[in-house]
Amino acid sequence: MDVIWFLLALIQDMLLSAIPAVGFAMVFNVPHRALPWCALLGAMGHGARFAMVYWGFNIEWSTFAASMLVGSIGIRWSRWYLAHPKVFTVAAVIPMFPGISAYTAMISAVKIGHQGYSEDLMILLLTNFLKASSIVGALSIGLSIPGLWIYRKRPRV
Amino acid sequence: MQMQEDQSSQRAITRLCIQCGLFLLQHGAESALVEELSTRLGLALGMDSVESSISSNAIVLTTIKDGQCLTSTRKNSDRGINMHVVTEVQHIVIMTEHKLLDARDVDKRFSQVKPLRYPRWLVTVMVGLSCACFCRLNNGGWDGAFITFCASSVAMYVRLLLASRHMHPQINFCITAFVATTVSGLMLTLPVFMHTSTVAMAASVLLLVPGFPLINAVADMFKGHINTGLARWAIASLLTLATCIGVVMSMTLWGLRGWM
Repeated sequence: MDVIWFLLALIQDMLLSAIPAVGFAMVFNVPHRALPWCALLGAMGHGARFAMVYWGFNIEWSTFAASMLVGSIGIRWSRWYLAHPKVFTVAAVIPMFPGISAYTAMISAVKIGHQGYSEDLMILLLTNFLKASSIVGALSIGLSIPGLWIYRKRPRV
Repeated sequence: MQMQEDQSSQRAITRLCIQCGLFLLQHGAESALVEELSTRLGLALGMDSVESSISSNAIVLTTIKDGQCLTSTRKNSDRGINMHVVTEVQHIVIMTEHKLLDARDVDKRFSQVKPLRYPRWLVTVMVGLSCACFCRLNNGGWDGAFITFCASSVAMYVRLLLASRHMHPQINFCITAFVATTVSGLMLTLPVFMHTSTVAMAASVLLLVPGFPLINAVADMFKGHINTGLARWAIASLLTLATCIGVVMSMTLWGLRGWM
């Protein structure tokens, strides 16, 4: 029963993250031939992170591993599409982006400026800022590592 | 005579290399790619080496051929992220490397590069759906997702409208965040949505997250381009701050309940 619940949640998670991947790929004007692959990569990345968080890893390390997965698949696909992997991998990791944490941190900072210092706001600011910046770092470095590691200094495409 | 001809061809190639770098930098490619592709284009067209220095608002590039150096500088103005242009430029460079194009063809191809833009209504609907999905992913419920869809579609339309009038990006983001929070916050006060989670309000401004600049910033710094990385980080932070000011303005003006 548990397994079925997990699979259903995973499928829902993957479907829900494929749409933002395509939506933001359109904002970045990704060529339309690459849009379906953006959706597929986005779903795989977010699904991988969902599964890892479910199995008890913390969110930063699961994000790192998921974006490494997206980065290595992206390199493979970029060779027959003849485009830089970032063209579709960045749109694919956007669903994992810690937007709400980043805004919560910034809004707490603005509120501290308005209403004066308070312990609760400071805790909110610090935890959310650290969470957002470590997830952004994990996403970006995770995307870059496969290219640097496998292909060293040679051009990838 | 020979000397002069060599120099004029080197000058033409220098122009092409810097045009290539400028295209990539203006349309949001990371610095490592800008450097790599402009160098590869120069080498493919017969230069001995190409050196470039990239900063956030200008690019300086030198080509060296038989001990002769030629340097050129171009100012950079941000044209918005456009992966279509990046792909086109990369295709041109690869074709030049395979000897399918010479300097004149490259020049012609560069003048034909037209940034792809998706139709405004399509982007608006897709971004609205995306933000609705973010709301659902953050446990906002389907009613929250509906509110987010309405708010962020309106906001995205406003954002594209202001961007097409060349409004300053920070002001644009501030106004857009104000509109998004106003629509979602006022919808949350309706009796139908009494018990809806306030995640809807937070998710409706997620279309303004500067994801691409932030990912590029960390990637640049990680690959040794510290100055462009810091510049991108600063731009992204300013955009986030502008968004938050818009949100806070709307929340204090309408007296909305908080979103945490």
